[in-house]
Amino acid sequence: MSQSPSLARRRFLQGMGALSVCGTGAPLALSLAGMGEAAAQSSSASDYKALVCIFLYGGNDSFNTVLTTDATSWGNYVATRNQAPSSIALLQAGTAPDTTSTPGSPTWLGGVRPIYPSNQPSGNSFALHPLMVNSQSLFNTQKKLAVVANMGPLEEPLTKAEYLQKTKRVPKKLFSHNDQQNTWLAMQPEGAVNGWGGKLADLFAADNSQSLFTAISASGNSVWLSGSTTRQYQISRRGVQKFGVRPADYATGQVFGSTAVAEALRHIASNERASISRHVFAKDLAANNQRALAAEGVIETHLPSETVAPFGPASRLQYQSINGGLVESDLAKQLQMVARLISMGQSLNLRRQVFFVSLSGFDSHDNQNTKHSELMAVLDHALGYFQSTIDSLGLANKVTTFTASEFGRTFTSNGDGTDHGWGAHHLVMGGAVQGGKIFGQMPQLGRMNNNDPMFDSSPDQLRNGVLLPTTSVDQFAGVLGRWFGVSQTNLNSIFPNLSRFGAGTNLSFV
Amino acid sequence: MKYAVAVAVCIGHNPFHTLTPKPPLVTMSFLHQCLRVLPIMGAAILLSACGGGGGSGEGNSAGTSSGIDTPALQSEQGLKYQTSVPADLDARRFLTQATFGPTEASVSELKSGTLGEWIDRQLTLPPSTPSHLDYMLTRSAEIRLTNPTGGAWNNDLTHSFWRQAIGGDDQLRQRVAFALSQIFVVSWADGCGGDNPRSLASYMDMLTANSFVKYRQLLEKVAKHPMMGCYLSHLKNRKEDLQTGRVPDENFAREIMQLFSIGLYSLNTDGTLVLDRFGQPIETYTADDVSGMAKVFTGWSFDCPNNALTDSCFWWAVDSTATNLTDPDVKTRPMVPYARFHSTSAKNFLGVTIAAQDTPDAEASMRVALDTLAKHPNVGPFIGKQLIQRLVTSNPSPAYVRRVAQRFVQTGGDLGETVKAILLDPEARDPRNDTDTTFGKPREPILKLTALIRAFDGTSDTGRYLIDPTDDAGTALAQSAYKSPSVFNFYRPGYVVPSSSSSAAGLVAPELQLMNESSAAGYVNYIRDVIDTGVGRWGISGNANRKDIQLSFHRSSTGELQSAAEDPEDLVDIVNTRLMYGTMPDYLKSDIEAAIASIDTVSPNPSAFQISDKRLRRLKSALLLTMASPEFQVQR
Repeated sequence: MSQSPSLARRRFLQGMGALSVCGTGAPLALSLAGMGEAAAQSSSASDYKALVCIFLYGGNDSFNTVLTTDATSWGNYVATRNQAPSSIALLQAGTAPDTTSTPGSPTWLGGVRPIYPSNQPSGNSFALHPLMVNSQSLFNTQKKLAVVANMGPLEEPLTKAEYLQKTKRVPKKLFSHNDQQNTWLAMQPEGAVNGWGGKLADLFAADNSQSLFTAISASGNSVWLSGSTTRQYQISRRGVQKFGVRPADYATGQVFGSTAVAEALRHIASNERASISRHVFAKDLAANNQRALAAEGVIETHLPSETVAPFGPASRLQYQSINGGLVESDLAKQLQMVARLISMGQSLNLRRQVFFVSLSGFDSHDNQNTKHSELMAVLDHALGYFQSTIDSLGLANKVTTFTASEFGRTFTSNGDGTDHGWGAHHLVMGGAVQGGKIFGQMPQLGRMNNNDPMFDSSPDQLRNGVLLPTTSVDQFAGVLGRWFGVSQTNLNSIFPNLSRFGAGTNLSFV
Repeated sequence: MKYAVAVAVCIGHNPFHTLTPKPPLVTMSFLHQCLRVLPIMGAAILLSACGGGGGSGEGNSAGTSSGIDTPALQSEQGLKYQTSVPADLDARRFLTQATFGPTEASVSELKSGTLGEWIDRQLTLPPSTPSHLDYMLTRSAEIRLTNPTGGAWNNDLTHSFWRQAIGGDDQLRQRVAFALSQIFVVSWADGCGGDNPRSLASYMDMLTANSFVKYRQLLEKVAKHPMMGCYLSHLKNRKEDLQTGRVPDENFAREIMQLFSIGLYSLNTDGTLVLDRFGQPIETYTADDVSGMAKVFTGWSFDCPNNALTDSCFWWAVDSTATNLTDPDVKTRPMVPYARFHSTSAKNFLGVTIAAQDTPDAEASMRVALDTLAKHPNVGPFIGKQLIQRLVTSNPSPAYVRRVAQRFVQTGGDLGETVKAILLDPEARDPRNDTDTTFGKPREPILKLTALIRAFDGTSDTGRYLIDPTDDAGTALAQSAYKSPSVFNFYRPGYVVPSSSSSAAGLVAPELQLMNESSAAGYVNYIRDVIDTGVGRWGISGNANRKDIQLSFHRSSTGELQSAAEDPEDLVDIVNTRLMYGTMPDYLKSDIEAAIASIDTVSPNPSAFQISDKRLRRLKSALLLTMASPEFQVQR
């Protein structure tokens, strides 16, 4: 239907009026979001929120992270995972550790740690990995930690029968590390350029006085942080080096004893030279150098020291390794940088920030007991460190942290490890989180019969006991997005598949 | 089939025939590439190549393999530059693609003959000596003189990498081995490489020695190497147990398909996706294929002395029947089959069935699996395109990929011939790429450093090239050889920089996956220090009076470079020639000239020291400003 230009224009202006008058009620098209969703929804200076993604590279074995411990589930778990030569079946709660056995092995670890979710039917029982002592307390006592069960990328709601009969769409390149990393974080396989963290940040970047610091990775390049307009800033966990200037020359700022060379260096490295026909890769490199130089001065002035409380002292970054001794945690070091940047965000009056940190090594095809137990120790320590630091900053309700990973793993064992899966349980943490609860739906755990690896005793498990997700990443991200202050309309634009799922049951975790 | 292939080559030479089925972005960049390449080939050459090539190709089908080297086919396959004698700057550009960077000597050598002769000579040069393993053993013996329980470790291996890469005469082999190490990835960031340097050394030697063999041969060497066995966990992998529900490890089965051979989607010979009738790409394998393939890679483990296939050797490399000691070389020898741990059930993958075996035969299973992968039509474009990306350009035209993939197929997967086709292709050699805004690749960090060292005659005082690992992004290069963070290499072949000029142009930029604000400063600062005082440890024991690798102007205070520094234009000219094969744009020249001209002696009658100091600072500044420029950091 055609309409006169003047009518169209009037409707547009009405829309604008609705924005200024109705505030939060106005459904905004995403294209208008550059005006700043936060401005539309709140103007309070205390309106600060941050999302922190802890990515577990390699595919975390969430079967050994969050456990279902009722008798039937436990029986199937032990039968499936107790295989020679190295059983990867953890032991029942209350089992005393045997410190003489191999570090990281189930007997060495002792029993799993019970958690008591307040929203699960009686008769069910649950636990965490034996080394997740901080997490147990955050869940049971502090109520700042929740579990979101059996989550993974989905295109549309999918039953096991539909999956097997191939009557519905499934995500592309399932079970592939790099592709599922991208799918989890950016809803497309390798080659994706925009992640949902960045897209959420797009809506608020205009409100941030220093938009450079809206989306920050302390762990290299992550597609999650790249929005349409938001570009990620990547910082070393150790801080910032000046571009080109030796520490000994910081006072003079000279390079090879020359101020002119120092100036030329910055100019040559970062000048856009927009009027000149230039190689596209050179343009990208120049743009990156420009951001590095722009950030350098701000950070030098505003980033708090790593040694002062609550970020330090350095001893706070040490975790107890399964191999004995206290070891500085690289993940905690990354999260320390995040906490410092959150603090800096306060002094810069930033409104919204998204952060990415990561921990690698979860691809536990073999030696799982050693690898996974050490990683659980690192993760648990880092969660405890970070939440207490954020608590001390008085920002507990403003910062929400969650784990992500490209996929879960097989329920079956290959003798000393597990292979690539799909759905997985994840943790969400923060003062705003409905802690002490399990959200989504815990899967029914079956076992393999001798003729068929398809786990026909469970509607939730596929070949080798891989979990078919019952909650999509889009639904999970949608809940986080709403907390972040994004309207449903914009969420539906960011997550095109979201409307296929509805709100989901039991997902109000924050 | 060779004849079918030859016809496809002919069609491929007409850029307009291949436009219809491509997705929009590919089409644009493809069109762009083709239009650029077309004129230099000349219409007459193009036509004759098509006509003659088609005929020749059909002639080949009669079965003479020598026919593939007829001039017409060479032209089709991009070998028309075989007989070119390069001019000085062309030679430098070629060596930037084919080596760890031009040296003055290598430029002279290349100019003294044709490109084809140089490549042929390089293809027959044996690997540099000592091998990585031999260096390691010598170094271990040296350490044990003072520390009986010590031994060489991964830093020593990194030194050995630099020694061969920077100092080796077998430059093409070294560069290709480095490229292959980024496809068939193992890493000492992982415990497998980190705790077994001897095994890693032998893997490095294996890739170096097999850089120019048939792909099928290399694939088997990779599959059987215990370092790969450890890294992707098919070492000690056992058959399924239906009673208990244990299943074979799927790790290597998946990655050998996804990363080492065929990739995820069916490819046309030109590397573009085959699409189904709904316009969707077609996956090359399913989860069931992975499970079937996983059974193939069961029953493989260590080769103990006396080939004693005991349980203790299978699990721990300890030969309890013999000496009860671990043979130090056990992790350098190819894995061997242990029949009792090999799956005997039927193995189904990629449309092939290995029938159930009455007697377990792991060798036979592996042979079928590797044959199936090696003859899959994806291998040529999948491996060929990645080698093009490592050596020449991130976004080759489909026609370029097709020519290379054809050469791969017609030579039975000969990697040396494939590399030759990559380097002699018209698209690689087109001189107008010097100013093109999309051709080429971001230089890898390691290659930036080696380019500097080789261009300015860097030498190692100890002969050992004692440069420690360079993977720290904030303080070094964000890349260290054989230390990738995962089997997915330092960067992915399909990486796209978000919100960027290159993504707007529809281009991938693999190496820019390492680009960020921290690594930008890390790179510039690291290179600044190299230019200032050299690079590497201060001698093997840390008590030398300077860093191990010194550039020519560190070693001598007089010479051509210092003299040129009197005149900023002369100096920039030399730097431009040596580091950028003459491609430095005028705006960059004038910026650098202005900056270094400002470095001058203050006094009207400067002392000899003041003059020499001025020249040295000018020289260092010119080098740093060049290497910090985005223009240098793109190889085109």
